[in-house]
Amino acid sequence: MKRTRIAAALAAATLVLAACGGAGDDEGGGGGQAGNPGTTTGFDGTTIKLGVLSPLSGPVAVIGQPLTSGNQVWFDALNARGGVAGKYKVELVQEDTQYRPEVAVQQYNKVKGDVVAFTQLLGTPSTLAVLPQLRADKMLAAPASLDALWVREENLLPVGAPYQVQAINAMDHYLTEGGGTKDAKICTMVQDDVYGEAGQAGIEFAAKSYGFTVANTQRFKSGTENYAGQIGALAGAGCQLVFLTATPTDAAKIWGTAAQARFAPRWYGQSPSYTSAFAKSAIAPYLQAYVTIVAEGTEWGDDSVPGMTEMVDRKNRFAPQQEPDYYFAFGYNQARAMTAVLEKAVELGDLSRDGILKASREIGTVSFDGLMGDYEYGSADTRNPPRSSTLFKVDPAKPFGLATLKYNFSSQAAQQYQFTKANL
Amino acid sequence: MPKPHRNLVRDYAQDLRLFGSPMSKLGLVLMIAAFLVLPTVVQDDFWLSVLIYAGITAVGAIGLNLLTGYCGQISLGHAFFIGAGAYVTAKAGGDFGLPFPLWLLAAAAGGAVLGGLIGPFTLRLRGHYLAIVTLGLVFLGEHLWRNLDDFTGGNSGTSVDADVAIGPVNFADLSIFGESYSRNQGWFWLVWTLVGLVALLVKNLARTRPGRALQAVRDRDQAAEVIGVRAGRYKIGAFMTSSAIASTAGALFGSYQQFVSPDEWNLLLSIQYIAVIIVGGLGTVFGSVLGALFVGALPALIDRYSDVIPGVRTSVGDSGFISVFALNQAIFGLLIVLFLVLEPRGLAGIWLRIKTYFKTWPFSY
Repeated sequence: MKRTRIAAALAAATLVLAACGGAGDDEGGGGGQAGNPGTTTGFDGTTIKLGVLSPLSGPVAVIGQPLTSGNQVWFDALNARGGVAGKYKVELVQEDTQYRPEVAVQQYNKVKGDVVAFTQLLGTPSTLAVLPQLRADKMLAAPASLDALWVREENLLPVGAPYQVQAINAMDHYLTEGGGTKDAKICTMVQDDVYGEAGQAGIEFAAKSYGFTVANTQRFKSGTENYAGQIGALAGAGCQLVFLTATPTDAAKIWGTAAQARFAPRWYGQSPSYTSAFAKSAIAPYLQAYVTIVAEGTEWGDDSVPGMTEMVDRKNRFAPQQEPDYYFAFGYNQARAMTAVLEKAVELGDLSRDGILKASREIGTVSFDGLMGDYEYGSADTRNPPRSSTLFKVDPAKPFGLATLKYNFSSQAAQQYQFTKANL
Repeated sequence: MPKPHRNLVRDYAQDLRLFGSPMSKLGLVLMIAAFLVLPTVVQDDFWLSVLIYAGITAVGAIGLNLLTGYCGQISLGHAFFIGAGAYVTAKAGGDFGLPFPLWLLAAAAGGAVLGGLIGPFTLRLRGHYLAIVTLGLVFLGEHLWRNLDDFTGGNSGTSVDADVAIGPVNFADLSIFGESYSRNQGWFWLVWTLVGLVALLVKNLARTRPGRALQAVRDRDQAAEVIGVRAGRYKIGAFMTSSAIASTAGALFGSYQQFVSPDEWNLLLSIQYIAVIIVGGLGTVFGSVLGALFVGALPALIDRYSDVIPGVRTSVGDSGFISVFALNQAIFGLLIVLFLVLEPRGLAGIWLRIKTYFKTWPFSY
C-alpha cells in the first residue's frame, strides 16, 4: 500500500516537472528600423553569424574545404572593409557533415539557434534532408550544388547555371564550332544518382532542340573500381562524342581506362568531373587532346575579368596557402550572393528569419563580376538563373590546369530551358 | 511468519520476472523518470536529435540482436530492411495519408514479408555463407531503390511527410496543460516509448519457449533439431521478426528526417549496426540499447567538444593534425577491436559484472 502511494507521488512529481519544460515557443526577432536592425537569433547587434554545413572530412572534403575557404576569404575581405553596411562584422560557424544526410540534420539542429542563415549547404542529399526543416524554421540557406531543383525553392539561395544548362551549352558548342553534326553518334556516361540525372536531362533536352538522338547511355555507380565494361560498350557503339557527368575520383578512372583502351572520342565533362590534380597526372596528355570541361567563370588569374583579379588578390591576402581551385571560386560567389541578402535585410531593418527571407526576394539581379553568370533573384517562382557557360581546355601550364576555350556564352536552347518546381 | 529473503527464488515464474528484485524495481522507476523529464531539461535541439537518432538505432539494433545474438544468424542485410521500412512509410504515411499506428504497422508488415522471402536461404546456409548472401541484399536493395522511381522517387529520393498523431495527440506539435513542446521533444518521447515497447516484445520472446528454441538453434542447430526444436521454422521466424523490427526503425527514421534517399541504405549502415550489437553485447536486449546510445552519442560528444580536445582541426585552415571525422573513425575502429578482445560480452557484460559485484558483496571476487 505504502509503496504504491510513494510511487504515485513520484509519478505526479515527475509529471509536474515535465509540464513546465516546453520548448515549443518560437522567439520573435527584436524590432529594428531601416538600416539599424534589432538583435535577433544569430545577431547580437554587432556581429552577424552565418552557418556553414559542409563535408570538411571524408571523401568529399576535397570539395568542401576549398569551398568553405572561398566563403571565408570573401567575408574576411568584407570584414576588413567594415562588414555588412560598413558596420556589422560577419562570422562563420562551420560544421562538418561528412556528406551524410543524417549528420547534416544533426549539425543543422546544433547551430540553427546561433545563426541568421546558412551561407553554404553542400551536397544534394544533405540539402534535401535539411529542406523540410528549413521550411519549418523559415531559414534561408545557400546550396553549394548546381541542381535545377533549387531554383524554385523559397528557402534556398542558389548561384550559377544549373547542370542542365552546362550540358545544353556543351552540345550547342559541339554542333556549331566543335565540328559535330546531328547525325554523329552522341553518347552519355552518367553517374547513377541525382547529379547524373541532371546531366542526362540536359542532354535529352538538347537532343530534342537540335534534333539528334542519344546513341548510347552508360550509367555507373560512384566508386566503381573497373570501367572497362562501360568504355567497351561506348567504343562498341561507335561513339564520336561522350558527355560525362561524374566526380573527380571516378572521372580519373574513366579517362584512364579510355586512354588505355585507345578509345578517343570527343569528351565533354561537367564541371565537377575535373580537379586540378589531373593536370599533373599521367592522363594529362589524353585530357589535353580529347577533353573539354564545361563550367562557369574564367581561368584562374585571368586579368581581363575584374572580378578574378580582385579574388586572386584577396586569396593571397587572407588565405595564402590555399591552392587555386574551381570550388574556391564557387564558395566565394556564394558568399557574394549571401552578402547581397544581408545588405538588403539591414537596409530593411530586419535580420530575423522572416526579414532574411523577405530580403532574398527583393535583391533583384546580383552580378558576380564575371566569375559566374548574373542571377535574377526574386520570388521563387520567377527566379531566372544564368544560362551561360564557359568551356575550358586542359592545359598543365595554367594554374588549376584549365585554359579558357570559349568565355561566357549562352545558347538559344539553354535560354528556353524551363525550371519547374521539384515534386519532393 | 517471517518473509523469505528478497533475492530467494522459489519457482520458475519468479525467476523469469523482468523486474524482480527491489533494486531493479527502483531502476525501472528511475528509467521512467529520466525518460519523462529528460526532454524538459535538455531542450537543445542538437542533443535531442542525437538522442532521437540513437533511439531509432536502438530499435533497429534490438531487431538485429534478436537475429544474430539470440538465433546466431549473421546478417549484413539489415540496411536493406531499414530502407524498405522508410519507403513503405513514404508511401503509406505520406502518399496515402494513413494515420500513425497504421503506417507503422504497414512498415513492420512489409519488413516481415521481405524477411520471410529471404528466410528460406537460412535453411541451407550458415555462418560466412549466410553473411555473403545477406551482403548481396544490400546491393540488390540499392539497385531497387535507385530504379523503382514510382515507389522510392529514384535517385532524387523522396520526402516522407507521414504525420505522427495518435488521435488528438500529435507528437510533432505537443501541448499538454497549455505548455507547448517542440517537435524534437515530442519525438524523443515517441521514439523512446517505442524503444521500450520493442525491448519488452523481444525480451518476452527471449524468456519464453520460442526464445529457448532460438538459443538452442544458435548453439547447435542440428542438436536442437534432434531434440525436437524445428530449427527451420525458428530461423525463418527470427528473420521475419528481426526484419519487421528493422523496418519499424526505418519507418521512424524516414518520418523523423522527412526525406530519404538511396544513398543512405548502404553497407556502412549494416556494419554500423553490427558494431552496435557487438559493443552493446550480443544476445541481450539491454546491450542493444546501451550500444546504440554509445555508438550514436560518442561521435556527437567528440564533435561538440572538439574545440577543447588538443590537436583536433575544427575548421578549414585551422591548425591541428587530425580532423574530428578521422578521430571519430579511429575511435570507432578501436572500440570494436577492444571490445572483441577484452570484453566480448560488450557493455552489457560490464554492467552485469558490476551488478554481480554488489549482489555478492562482501564475497565478490
